[in-house]
Amino acid sequence: MALYNFKKITVVPSAKDFIDLTLSKTQRKTPTVIHKHYQIHRIRHFYMRKVKYTQQNYHDRLTQILTDFPKLDDIHPFYADLMNVLYDKDHYKLALGQINIAKNLIDNVGKDYVRLMKYGDSLYRCKQLKRAALGRMCTIIKRQKQSLEYLEQVRQHLSRLPTIDPNTRTLLLCGYPNVGKSSFINKVTRADVEVQPYAFTTKSLFVGHMDYKYLRWQVVDTPGILDHPLEDRNTIEMQAITALAHLRAAVLYVMDVSEQCGHSLEEQVELFKNIKPLFANKPLIIVANKCDVKRIAELPEESQKIFEAFEAEGFSVIETSTLTEEGVIQVKTEACDRLLAHRVDTKMKGNKVNEVLNRLHLAMPNKRDNKERLPFIPEGAITRKKRMEVDTPKRKLERDLELELGDDYILDLQKYWDLMNSSEKYDKIPEIWEGHNILDYIDPDIMRKLEELEKEEELREAAGEYDSEPESEDEEMMEIRQLAQQIREKKKLKILQSKEKDTRGPRMPRTAKKASIEHVQRKVLEKEMTDLGLDMTNKDDAHYVRRSRSATRKRKRDESVTPTSVARSRSCSRTPRDVSGLRDEKMVKKVKTMAKKAQKKMNRLGRKGESDRHIFDLKPKHLLVGKRKSGKTQRR
Amino acid sequence: IKMHEKRNTKQKNDEKTPKGAVPAYLLDREGQTRAKVLSNMIKQKRKEKAGKWEVPVPKVRAQGETEVLKVIRTGKRKKKAWKRMVTKICFVGDGFTRKPPKYERFIRPMGLRFKKAHVTHPELKATFCLPILGVKKNPSSPLYTTLGVITKGTVIEVNVSELGLVTQGGKVIWGKYAQVTNNPENDGCINAVLLV
Repeated sequence: MALYNFKKITVVPSAKDFIDLTLSKTQRKTPTVIHKHYQIHRIRHFYMRKVKYTQQNYHDRLTQILTDFPKLDDIHPFYADLMNVLYDKDHYKLALGQINIAKNLIDNVGKDYVRLMKYGDSLYRCKQLKRAALGRMCTIIKRQKQSLEYLEQVRQHLSRLPTIDPNTRTLLLCGYPNVGKSSFINKVTRADVEVQPYAFTTKSLFVGHMDYKYLRWQVVDTPGILDHPLEDRNTIEMQAITALAHLRAAVLYVMDVSEQCGHSLEEQVELFKNIKPLFANKPLIIVANKCDVKRIAELPEESQKIFEAFEAEGFSVIETSTLTEEGVIQVKTEACDRLLAHRVDTKMKGNKVNEVLNRLHLAMPNKRDNKERLPFIPEGAITRKKRMEVDTPKRKLERDLELELGDDYILDLQKYWDLMNSSEKYDKIPEIWEGHNILDYIDPDIMRKLEELEKEEELREAAGEYDSEPESEDEEMMEIRQLAQQIREKKKLKILQSKEKDTRGPRMPRTAKKASIEHVQRKVLEKEMTDLGLDMTNKDDAHYVRRSRSATRKRKRDESVTPTSVARSRSCSRTPRDVSGLRDEKMVKKVKTMAKKAQKKMNRLGRKGESDRHIFDLKPKHLLVGKRKSGKTQRR
Repeated sequence: IKMHEKRNTKQKNDEKTPKGAVPAYLLDREGQTRAKVLSNMIKQKRKEKAGKWEVPVPKVRAQGETEVLKVIRTGKRKKKAWKRMVTKICFVGDGFTRKPPKYERFIRPMGLRFKKAHVTHPELKATFCLPILGVKKNPSSPLYTTLGVITKGTVIEVNVSELGLVTQGGKVIWGKYAQVTNNPENDGCINAVLLV
């Protein structure tokens, strides 16, 4: 689903940047040194590599662009329509088509020039061909300048579109400009849409989220729609129309009763009638906003009749004021309830319901006698539920008190004390009473009471009140507990043992020791196992036993293939490096002689290492002296 | 005869003679410009000899055989060296079929065969990609002409039906000559200028 991938489209570079990028990349990532005297196949390969590399880069980048941009046919029709409104579908498709063509052209150029370069017989010719190839590819990209610019702008705008999920519960606000849609959404959700007195403050769709009945709801704010036919609408209004057309949402048609928006009530009703076809199959609520200025009851007769007509048609009319927040919550609950009911209905009518219904089964317990047993709901729950519905605060919080009193507020915890005589709550506590310091007060019986308590605790423990239930654990758990106990004991023993060891000075870490010895002693292993209770008496044939060479010759083997323990007195688990990979002694000898031979030249020349190129005698006499008569002046 | 053709003209150069008296040892001879003036007739004859065409690329560097044709060694011990492979761009006609490989002396590889040229109309200053009809003349050697090798300065015949030219009599022109202006083997394409 390409919904949220709008933010992950790769940046489309401008033509100039694209060319610079790719060429500099070719410069950096391919070898740069070539000489005339190299062999021709090397020269050819060098230049072919550059051409291919550049072609590959362009190809990759262009493919990336093509796949990242959403295909208008694959995304949700709401987004497809929105993109058509904002970016013009034809232009968009054309731009992407041009990029595709450019990609193919570049591929062809690359192929052709690589083919030609096979016949290049000199460095100059190959170089010119490479230059021509790269130049051609870059010209192709230069011609795409317009498309690339357009796509970059589209990408930037796309990534800033609000993420509207077309399938979830949505409330859609529509109406004339300046009627109060944005103020409504600001009130109901945490969105912060700009509210200004001029029309068309909102120029695009905005989303806000709110919670109701433990579900997430989207509220979509649209730019205002004016009353003219579809063809005359501009881009901003078309966005609103698109949202109306494609989102399955509850529609809140907001009207301005006080006519402060600049359009009369009749005009608003006209608009309503015109866009009514878009409301098909959607729960609709008429929101009469700005009722703090003018209520419906204050309106003249004809206007009131309009509202009565609405009521008659079955659309509920709710008066609200976003300023005083009157009726806002009512609108919200009504819209959400109706939308939920509508969605449930559609789901029930659909096919998927049956799948779910088949799997649901409500199990009722069998009645064992005729006694009626009603469900028990405690009083507190009922009162709390009632209070939730009414939405009143439970009790006056300290915070509320603090806000009320403002500066006068003093934190008074003493009112919560639970005393026998409640009138004594605010009495001052004396510091000295009957000659004693109150702070020094210790109950003289305190020790006795403590002892009594402890005895009680012991009795309780003996009685088994604190024991965990044995029936709750099954056999497995018991075994596991036993094992855990054993492990703990063993661990403690080992710790004590290691402490007893007489060590002086630093000790090698265990891993080093392990590597040097390379195996655990058989005796140690067997001892440990017997300690644990296993029978280790007859284990000569076990896999962990190291055997001498005679004992291993149980299977018939080729004479040439001897076991890996070659030329070693004691077998180890890891073969030493100088004989690893070698079959027999003959090979080992040969390898050793080869190694020595390789060192001969270095030793003879007195070189310190492979990279030592020091020349001891820069001007050898036998080469630089004498006339050119006899030999010995090679290439002077 | 040559001397007869080039007359020495002695013209009196008035400007160099100083005005006023000058001592004898400073007297110059009258400035005479000796100009070898070629007689008009010779000029005309030369022009005629150069041909009827004034081509955009009058002189080109001659391409030697070693440059254009590469020796291909064949035979069991690679000793025979009678085959040659063309290393420049060439044009073979539509109905071209190779001779049997055993007998073909000149190999024109497929990778180097081009069919189209980018032809510029000198007056319209527009370039068209026109199919080549044939190679008319290669300035380096008639051998190259017969082989169809296209180098800089080669005159080729192109199919100009795309341009929609019409003769006085109303007939449609569909073939015209053009001269190649770049080194096709270095650029990978044939750029030519139409000879109007």
